[in-house]
Amino acid sequence: MADAQDNRPGEDEEEEEEIDDSAYKTMKDAVLFAIDVSPTMLERPPKSEDKKAERDSATSAALKCAYQLMQQRIISNPNDMMGILLFGTEQTDLKDGDSMFQHCYLLADLDVPSAQDVKRLRGLVENEEEAEQILKPAKDGASIATVLFCANQIFTTKAPNFSSRRLFLVTDNDYPVRVKADKDTAVTRARDLYDLGCTIDLFPITQPDHSFDRSRFYDDLVYPTSPSDPDAPVAVPSTTKIAKSGEGITLLKQLLSSINSKATPRRALFTLPLELGPDLKIGVKGYILIKRQEHVKSCYVWVGGEKPQIVSSSTSHMADDTARVVEKLELRKAYKFGGDAITFTPDEIIKIRQAFGDPVIRIIGFKPISCLPIWTNTNKATFIYPSEADYIGSTRVFSALQQKLLESKKMALVWFIARRNASPTLCALIPAQEKINEDGEQTMPPGMWLIPLPFADDLRQFPEQAGDVLKTTDELTDKMRIIIEQLQLPKGVYDPVKYPNPDLQWFYRILQAMALEEELPDQPDDKTVPRFKQIDKRCGEYIANYGKEFAVAFDQVAKSTLSHRGRATGKHASVDPEDAPAPKRVKKEPKVKEENGDDDMTDEQMATIYGKGQLSKQTVVVLKSFLQQRSQATSGKKADLVERVQDYLESKAT
Amino acid sequence: MAGKEATVYIVDLGRSMAEKRHGRDQTDLDWALEYVWDKITNTVATGRKSALMSVIGCRTDETDLAGLIDVLEGYENLHVFSELKQYLLSDIRKLQEHLHPSKTNDGDLLSAVALAVQMIDRATAGKNGKPLKYDRKVIIVTDGRGEMDMGDLEEISAKIQHPDAPIEITLLGVDFDDLESGYKEEDKDAHKAENEHRLKVVVESCDGIVGTLAEAVDQLAIPRLKEVRPTPSFRGALTLGDPEIYDSTISIDVERYPCTMLAKPPTASSFAMRTDVGTAGPSAQPSNIIVGEDHPMSDLSAVRNQRVYQVDNLDEPGTKKNVEQDELEKGFEYGRTAVHISESDMNVVKLETQAFLSIIGFVKAEEFERYLPLSRSNFIVPQKANQPAQLGLSSFIHALYESECYAVARLVTKELKPPVIILLVPRIEVDAGWETLVDVELPFEEDMRRYKFPPLDRKLTVSGKVIHEHKDLPTQDLTNAMSAYVDAMDLSTFGRDDDGNPAEYAKPEDTYSPIVHRINHIIRWRATHPDPTLPIPDPPAILTQFAHPPPSRISSSSTHLDALKQASKVSKVPPKVKGRGKRNRAERDKPLSGLDIDALLGNPKKVDIDKANLIPSFKQALLASDDLDTIRAAASAMGSEIKALVKNSVGDSGYGRALEAMRVMREELVELEEPEEYNKFVRELKKELLAGQLGGNRREMWWKVRGSRYGLVDRKRSFVSDVSEEEAAEFYRS
Repeated sequence: MADAQDNRPGEDEEEEEEIDDSAYKTMKDAVLFAIDVSPTMLERPPKSEDKKAERDSATSAALKCAYQLMQQRIISNPNDMMGILLFGTEQTDLKDGDSMFQHCYLLADLDVPSAQDVKRLRGLVENEEEAEQILKPAKDGASIATVLFCANQIFTTKAPNFSSRRLFLVTDNDYPVRVKADKDTAVTRARDLYDLGCTIDLFPITQPDHSFDRSRFYDDLVYPTSPSDPDAPVAVPSTTKIAKSGEGITLLKQLLSSINSKATPRRALFTLPLELGPDLKIGVKGYILIKRQEHVKSCYVWVGGEKPQIVSSSTSHMADDTARVVEKLELRKAYKFGGDAITFTPDEIIKIRQAFGDPVIRIIGFKPISCLPIWTNTNKATFIYPSEADYIGSTRVFSALQQKLLESKKMALVWFIARRNASPTLCALIPAQEKINEDGEQTMPPGMWLIPLPFADDLRQFPEQAGDVLKTTDELTDKMRIIIEQLQLPKGVYDPVKYPNPDLQWFYRILQAMALEEELPDQPDDKTVPRFKQIDKRCGEYIANYGKEFAVAFDQVAKSTLSHRGRATGKHASVDPEDAPAPKRVKKEPKVKEENGDDDMTDEQMATIYGKGQLSKQTVVVLKSFLQQRSQATSGKKADLVERVQDYLESKAT
Repeated sequence: MAGKEATVYIVDLGRSMAEKRHGRDQTDLDWALEYVWDKITNTVATGRKSALMSVIGCRTDETDLAGLIDVLEGYENLHVFSELKQYLLSDIRKLQEHLHPSKTNDGDLLSAVALAVQMIDRATAGKNGKPLKYDRKVIIVTDGRGEMDMGDLEEISAKIQHPDAPIEITLLGVDFDDLESGYKEEDKDAHKAENEHRLKVVVESCDGIVGTLAEAVDQLAIPRLKEVRPTPSFRGALTLGDPEIYDSTISIDVERYPCTMLAKPPTASSFAMRTDVGTAGPSAQPSNIIVGEDHPMSDLSAVRNQRVYQVDNLDEPGTKKNVEQDELEKGFEYGRTAVHISESDMNVVKLETQAFLSIIGFVKAEEFERYLPLSRSNFIVPQKANQPAQLGLSSFIHALYESECYAVARLVTKELKPPVIILLVPRIEVDAGWETLVDVELPFEEDMRRYKFPPLDRKLTVSGKVIHEHKDLPTQDLTNAMSAYVDAMDLSTFGRDDDGNPAEYAKPEDTYSPIVHRINHIIRWRATHPDPTLPIPDPPAILTQFAHPPPSRISSSSTHLDALKQASKVSKVPPKVKGRGKRNRAERDKPLSGLDIDALLGNPKKVDIDKANLIPSFKQALLASDDLDTIRAAASAMGSEIKALVKNSVGDSGYGRALEAMRVMREELVELEEPEEYNKFVRELKKELLAGQLGGNRREMWWKVRGSRYGLVDRKRSFVSDVSEEEAAEFYRS
């Protein structure tokens, strides 16, 4: 079925030949939280003066965790499903009127979350009274076999063909049965889930007076690897840490971190031979670990009914001449050439595109890593990791290569064809060391990265400047170096974790508020804005020194090129020599670049035209170039441009 | 971007050009045409209206001066094939009919030049007769075996070198002697030697270029790069500190231009084969049909996309209803909730931003992870002719360079554009004499997918022990062999620069995009080779040059490679033995504890298909016994349940479950080498679906089966199947 969001009416589409990583994304995931509601799970930690102390009961920490995960997944995996099942509750409610599954309460059905689900869950997390009504434990608790069979039914009916289906089980009870027969039933139900293709992920909680022992019960229920997906990568062979109630770090944080550590790529982007030399191949898999996360595209909403509804659309092809519906097989590809079309048969298209051989990562040779300057970047990198699936011994050879490259600071030059039909590229294959944070958690995996290199066709000319360009003096450079040394980021590294995407965050904050019909927030939280106060505090003095030196240096270097100076300096220069001697003042007023070219209008000229009411008589070219030089948007119709120029002039006038 | 140009090709079509000489297997003319066609199709491919061209044949059987000159004397045996104009595919086709060797050796090459000059002169003059700004070119290809009249030479030469309208002359000679390459034709006849000499004098007197055809054809192999005029993506100030609030801040006016930008091959559009050829009259043809003049491409018709919009029908759950496009408005999906935002409110979801480029802080170059950047790169240079900006940026570039740091900055290229974080890196090109900042985009928190992978230099056991010797870890032998091999295959000095000194091999500027040039090449090839029976040629060698390691490097490091092969002991996993045949409960996956669950249940001999637990019970039933009857019974029960799912489905609500059950059934039966059981079922299913026997119109379900490729299991998938691949394909079609 067509995806609603990338189909818009009236939009002309030219078919892309390149298959992107969309198949990679469409691996859908369904997560069902099963949260134990029992007296011990509901017990709240003792009150404490310490602000960091635990406040949540285990159940409520699990609910908060589910709430956060739900919001996060709406952003990061908008097509994935999530559900929340409470078990051991006094009430039985599965939203279908059936009471087969005693003491199971379906808080949110397994589905792509709706705004209502988010709202409901938040109500429960934030409103204690509401929570107390539901979170009442049943006397005897629920049978774990019932819970597992209930999950089985939910997965079977709600997410029948999802390739990844996971049951997140949160409990503090490491032996939830009384007699062995009950355990046997639970064990068979767990195997049913396994045969169905579902994974049980256990999130055990240790209470102060009782430590959780997996081997008593759950090791008979949980299976080592994901059963359903042969393309899933090898899992890190560690079981989830047992969260402890009542320790320094809150239960919620421990749970979130456990869940995040379960994040494994659901499928490899490709499985390919890595050819080290003629007749020496090993197997590797590729994964996308870094990719720009975009917000959902706008879609069409049907407003003809009571409630707005999401519209799905499907496309059929029609021949323009006869209005006959055309099957995909009948379509022919044609290239425009010399006012006509050059066609090839589908077979020929295959021969043209696949003329470069089979998909492979082939090492051509090695170079020092210094042969990979940053300016050669053209696109994101792809992570690769060895796989024993096709070649036995791949892992050790890969490891030897990775360690050699790390040690000698080298890279491999590779010829890379990602899949049949993909264009061949040259890439640098660079080694990456494993990175581990203070808590012993892996933050960057060990492996290698494929970094696409540019071809000569992808290199753009350097925009040469006319005339001599001024060069710095050693003294001035030194003053700048002091500033650079003062403003190092922590540990001198860029850590993406500290910079959430402000645009994405704002988009979802607004969207969520609109979906829940709440008041819109007015202040975005933008962590990418430099900390000006700190910069001033740490560097104000050094910047002033730089300003003084700048005046000296400018006199020195500009003099030698005086004849070339033209009219470039004067009022509009940002770092103005005449102005510099004044202490602590390096910067002039916001500038308008009159010097940009002879045809360009100044603010005054444009204001005069505006005054005469002749703004709309200007050509679009004039308006656009005026706006562009002032870093204003140049999109839209002429009326928009005129309006924007007006706004600009008025803002300058006041 | 190139300006206007006018090019005239003078092609020698004399009888002597029909010879094959010096052991070549093509005639001199065919050889020459390789060059000419390449040039012409390259120009046509640009689709530029301002690239005018014409072709004049010299030593032709007919004479046609296209009215350029009134007198005929001295201009016999010249044929002007077209006026100066933009060439289209149809012109190429017409030209092809003319470019064949003639039966004569008469015809004066210099007269052809005079004709070309005259032609350019007329076509590139403005209304008042003054020459316009044009690149004027005459390209001559000849074997130098004709007759030439050297009179009027000065007049022509003056015209060619006219300061307001200079014409660039290039002459490519077939087997001309060439001092530079040291080529000298053996046994050259005196007449040709004389002509060669005269032509050189003539062309050189006009400041033109004389070259050999061999050289020119060689050059064709090097792909041509498309030059793009730099356009800035940002103009504004690079600041340190907030100038609005604080006194001490730095602000440098800069401009940002692309540094790398992926070149894209031309894209193909879809067309439908026309079905009405010969029936529709010309007047009935919509304008956007591709109309070729008289060649086979006119049987294509443009394709229009027809869209149908549907919403879930709330009155009848499980069904959809069509809605009209004018009832649709813009919105977004929040989870599965539709959030409707009217067109005028669309801006509320946008972060309000202003154009902005300001430093966040600095990082150490050494510590920077090279795999982080996720975009192409850009130059950041001082604003044009702004000297303080030049000095300011230069001090910044050098300070970064000397302190071995990069800057991290926030960039908003334009009002209302989302902010990005960029890395600013100094780049100083001493030889070329320029310096610049280069920027690349860095990931945000949301862009990082934190997946975990096991370590590669040690093994962890479940109990938490660290192991350093394991089959997945390299032995010392392997480590040494790898090290020696990597060093032996070094390419950093394997290449040669222009002066023949050792240089880096395969630098980006020496590599050409295979797909861009492959597609361009093949389009141009097809333009001059319309015969559909010709096989598609292989890509030019220069495009596959870097597909393999350089052979000499391989041979010089072969001992190291052998040692590495020895030490690594890699073996290919044999292709999966088709089907596991009989299966064994003991091989089943077990839970972490290793508990044997079947034993726990007393190894039941028979498991019934449970419709509430369909897939697990099916799998377990198959495992319970390898007896064929049991498998048949399970398959048949499974089949009935799948049909029941479809039959009882409200709308399409049961289709997903049915499909998943089909997937499992197909997979398991293939593995058990009983594909016939599945094929029997799916044949029945298809029949019943299409006959409406499963609770009404279930065509939709059939499409889904087809789309999922859950049809017949053919011989390719399972060698015991008696269904051929053709039959399996046919099954989907009918």
